[in-house]
Amino acid sequence: MARIELSGIQKRWGKVVGVRDVDIEIADEEFVVFLGPSGCGKTTTMRMIAGLEEPTEGEVIMDGEVMNDIDARDRDVAMVFQGYALYPNMTIYENIRFPLRMREVPKGEQDALVRRAAEMTELTDYLDRKPSALSGGQRQRAALARAIVRQPQVFLMDEPLSNLDAKLRQAMRVQIKHIQRQLKVTTVYVTHDQIEAMTLADRIVIMEGGAIQQIGTPDDIYNDPANTFVAGFIGSPPMNLVEGAMDAGTFTAQGIEVTGLPAALSGNVVLGFRPEDCTVGGNTPHLTGSVFGVEPTGDLTYLTIKVGGQQIEVKADRAFRAELDTEITVTFDPARICLFDAKSGERLR
Amino acid sequence: MASQRRKSRSESLTLRYAILGGWALFCLMPVLWFLSIGFRPRTEIITAQPIYWPTFSLDAFWMIFEDWPMWKYLRNSVLAIIGSVLIDLVLAIPAAYSLSRYTYRGRDDIGFYILSTRMMAPAIVAIPIFFLFRNAGLLDSVWALMLIYAAINLSFVTWIIRSYMMDIPKELEDAAKTDGAGDLRILWEIIIPAILPGIITASVIAMIFAINEFLFTLLIASTPNAYTMSVALANFTGGSDGLIYNAIALVAFLAFVPVFIVVVAIQKHLSRGLTMGAVKG
Repeated sequence: MARIELSGIQKRWGKVVGVRDVDIEIADEEFVVFLGPSGCGKTTTMRMIAGLEEPTEGEVIMDGEVMNDIDARDRDVAMVFQGYALYPNMTIYENIRFPLRMREVPKGEQDALVRRAAEMTELTDYLDRKPSALSGGQRQRAALARAIVRQPQVFLMDEPLSNLDAKLRQAMRVQIKHIQRQLKVTTVYVTHDQIEAMTLADRIVIMEGGAIQQIGTPDDIYNDPANTFVAGFIGSPPMNLVEGAMDAGTFTAQGIEVTGLPAALSGNVVLGFRPEDCTVGGNTPHLTGSVFGVEPTGDLTYLTIKVGGQQIEVKADRAFRAELDTEITVTFDPARICLFDAKSGERLR
Repeated sequence: MASQRRKSRSESLTLRYAILGGWALFCLMPVLWFLSIGFRPRTEIITAQPIYWPTFSLDAFWMIFEDWPMWKYLRNSVLAIIGSVLIDLVLAIPAAYSLSRYTYRGRDDIGFYILSTRMMAPAIVAIPIFFLFRNAGLLDSVWALMLIYAAINLSFVTWIIRSYMMDIPKELEDAAKTDGAGDLRILWEIIIPAILPGIITASVIAMIFAINEFLFTLLIASTPNAYTMSVALANFTGGSDGLIYNAIALVAFLAFVPVFIVVVAIQKHLSRGLTMGAVKG
């Protein structure tokens, strides 16, 4: 199988910079997810690994070999595309067999490999159909089968689930992870969906503006965000970020006061706390504001509080109810608070 | 209420059929007229009084095949047209692939240049083409007609196929590349099957243009050796017997039938091709 290394990768089109200075090492059999908003450079980075795009600078290295000058078709990677990219004129069987034919796998072995891939993706009954006669989920599975059929060194998946409905997406997520573990193939997966990233990844690479913001395990990324972008991108709803002044271990902003923070910090900082690390009420509350919205979902209640012109999201108990515009207090878990530099947005530790 | 509504609906349906039927009759009138003239005796063609129920006669039909090399003209037409379309496809498909898929300097200029060859009146190049073919020793042959028809149609065949190729998602080619296919494989196994309707449309339009081509055919086919239906039709007057209108009508009908059959057979592709390929592109 394969280790992938991206070293100083840049991609520019004229003056437009798509990807800047991406350095990352992906271990053998690792499942890495590139996560970021659209236009952040994640797909371009993946296409450079595939060989469909050439880096302007830097090197793509697989198992110690520089791949920059090697054609996509000579790299041992298989890619799954957002739009499935099944060949419309071929049956599903022919689609799955196509990579085997192209790589000149002996004819006698092809059938068994196609059937095995079809079995893994539960497509055995649909092999005679054309892609147009399949549902979205089946087409996605067919694309997956075509990728796994020749057991490549690397899987690349470019938002493979974004055209599916929520229920199907969850089922496919489980299937993809299962297959990846079964085949033990290094996988790079691109998505803008943080749930997909959190559930699938061994490590997440968060990108924004063509640059990597943070690389880490899902837990790292969630609990220990490197900057305000990551903090504000991950979580649903994401981390609350409040700008305020820091003096002698006390953070103050309008309606908020938190004591007992590191005394070494001073000046303007951003205070971050997650909605689920808040408790309504408490003996020594940190925040006072007015109720702006109450949204019960059954298993919990989303509470929106207006504090000094800003909205703060809190996950409250499922039985919690409150009248709008009434005053409310909230206490944070001090151990879970994150502080960021107000200017650079970088984490202060 | 309901029955009234049903009645007015059936009335509007009848009206629709009446209008469409009338229009169809109007369009088919020349063809029907040909047939009516072609299959009546010569004596019933020019009369002072109209004849509404002419006598049916195959005289003209047998005459055109016995007295003139009609089969040869038909064969020349078919050979030249099919040959020219094949030449067009062999050249246009790779050209369209390049124009739609690769980025290189001057690509759009080349595309425009190809199209611009259709923008001038054919008569402008008639004389140079005549000398060109004469010097190459190609006058009066079906091969020359093939080449000239192919040259005339190449630009828009390229253009139609190109616009179809542009509609194929790039992802499909990326997938084929990562699956290990080279450019020619991709063209042959992925692109061409996907744009088959476009290829058929372009071919049929090229056929129609070629079968109707007159100027260059007349120029190059100086003897009946290379005459096609269009030139034969123009030269066909009946010889020493004076104008034989019923024979002329039948020859005209014969020139019309092949195109008619082809168009009817592929009309589904054709309408889609004209709207999607040619207009949108």
